[in-house]
Amino acid sequence: MNPLAVISPAPASPRAERATETATAAALIAQHIDVHLGGRSILNDVSFHVDSGEFLGILGPNGAGKTTLFRVLLQLIKPQSGSIAFPRPVEAGHTAIGYVPQARQIDPELPLHAWDFVALGLPHAIRPWLNRRDRASVQAALDLAGAAQLARKSIGRLSGGEKQRVFLAQALVRNPHLLLLDEPTSNLDPGAQEEMAAVIDRVRRERNIAVLLISHDVNLVNRYADRILYLTPRHYAVGTVDEVMQTSVLQRLYGSSVDVLRVEGKLLVTISSDPVPAICRH
Amino acid sequence: MLHYAFMQHAFLAGTLVAIMSGAIGVFVIARNLSFIAHTFSHIGFSGAAFSVLAGWNPIGGLLLFSIASAFAIGGFGVKLFRREVTISVVLSLFLGLGLLFLSMSAKKATAMTALLFGSVVGISRDNVIEIVCLSAAVLVVFAFFYKPLKFDSFDPAGAQAARLPVRLLSIGFLLLLAVAVSEAILIVGALLVFTLLTAPAAAARHMTHSVARMMLWSAAFGVLGVWGGLVLSYYTNAPVSFYITALETLFYFAALSWGRLRERRSPEPAASRA
Repeated sequence: MNPLAVISPAPASPRAERATETATAAALIAQHIDVHLGGRSILNDVSFHVDSGEFLGILGPNGAGKTTLFRVLLQLIKPQSGSIAFPRPVEAGHTAIGYVPQARQIDPELPLHAWDFVALGLPHAIRPWLNRRDRASVQAALDLAGAAQLARKSIGRLSGGEKQRVFLAQALVRNPHLLLLDEPTSNLDPGAQEEMAAVIDRVRRERNIAVLLISHDVNLVNRYADRILYLTPRHYAVGTVDEVMQTSVLQRLYGSSVDVLRVEGKLLVTISSDPVPAICRH
Repeated sequence: MLHYAFMQHAFLAGTLVAIMSGAIGVFVIARNLSFIAHTFSHIGFSGAAFSVLAGWNPIGGLLLFSIASAFAIGGFGVKLFRREVTISVVLSLFLGLGLLFLSMSAKKATAMTALLFGSVVGISRDNVIEIVCLSAAVLVVFAFFYKPLKFDSFDPAGAQAARLPVRLLSIGFLLLLAVAVSEAILIVGALLVFTLLTAPAAAARHMTHSVARMMLWSAAFGVLGVWGGLVLSYYTNAPVSFYITALETLFYFAALSWGRLRERRSPEPAASRA
């Protein structure tokens, strides 16, 4: 076990009560994940779990292995050691994981309506036509992602925030138990970021989907996430925002002098990577 | 006109190949494979030239060479072959090889023109049967893979995120394309495969926003071009392939203008969403 891991077994928070009320099981249990790529250690003995309907924010500097962690969860990369379990049984018409990748180039000339773009993600494997149930689930996914009014617009002509909502709808149409979102709010203006985060928060509450969200925005994560997983190149910490976003914890993670400031309820992290102190870009 | 057996064969074969190429073409454009299709046609040309030399049925050599290259391109990865330099090198090599094979055979001149520019009116009854079987096989396989192929072609990042077997789909599509190109060569020739594989599909993109309807439009443009080409050529004696090319170009620019016009009239100007 990583000595620096800050494990929160069962914090006495309103969220914990809600979890017991709805009798939610763990959606994901990752244990002792080790990943080396090209001779470099990317993830080092990472263990955490996520409950159904829980929102886990993933923070950390670039190169800390956040996207690699997602690729491990998607089984696109096999970890050198460790285990991943998805304890919730996958019923027909559901999938274990929905993933919204970070980089997605959409040709502005792509002649496809948002509705059809979402329908691409439908989970049936071969049948070339859509039945009534498929249509209903596409509509439900668009409604849930707050993209219903975009259905008949060309996907290539949507704004960044609108595109993200359509991408989210495409992942939701597969009825996932677990949603992996890789920086869905980057490249969005603050208003659109807030809107996107609110949509994601509503999705996990309404569908009881566990959400793992990678972001560089501490305060956005602070507002919506139940817990956070903070990754740095060698260490990690997992716990509630209050538990992890502390000067002592981040100092251990970064191995250098870090200050966590709280200004009017907002978090500000500064790292004194010698010699000049700078605002941490994360 | 239609009482001649050769015209019946030409209409039947041309229609089938146009429908199949039109449907496949929509995916060729979506997957950015236009120039790989063109490379296939040159590889196919050298295969057909080899058949002429060896005394085989041309479709045998066409399929052998293009299917082998589909596996090679799939194996190396499509990315490498999308590069202009790779395409120009491979394309020239196989055009040169085709020239070599034909120069070694006795029927050099006629075969050369037929393979490079098509010989739809020279299609025999046996050729028609081959084309019917091949087109049917391609369309059946295509229908079977339609759903995942559509996802991977129009949203590759999403398809990968949904854990579709993207590599398998890529190679599978290259194989379908290899067969489609081989057939198109028999109709319009190696140098003009774009005419049936990309021009109708490019026009169709401006007509509709649904993939299924795009395929219908594309097939319709292809068929109309082939029919128009055959009729015009019959009455004027100019080459069929020229007319097909001219008609498809006309369709493309007409569709482009129609798309622009419709966009300008649409109630929602692009500027308001910026």
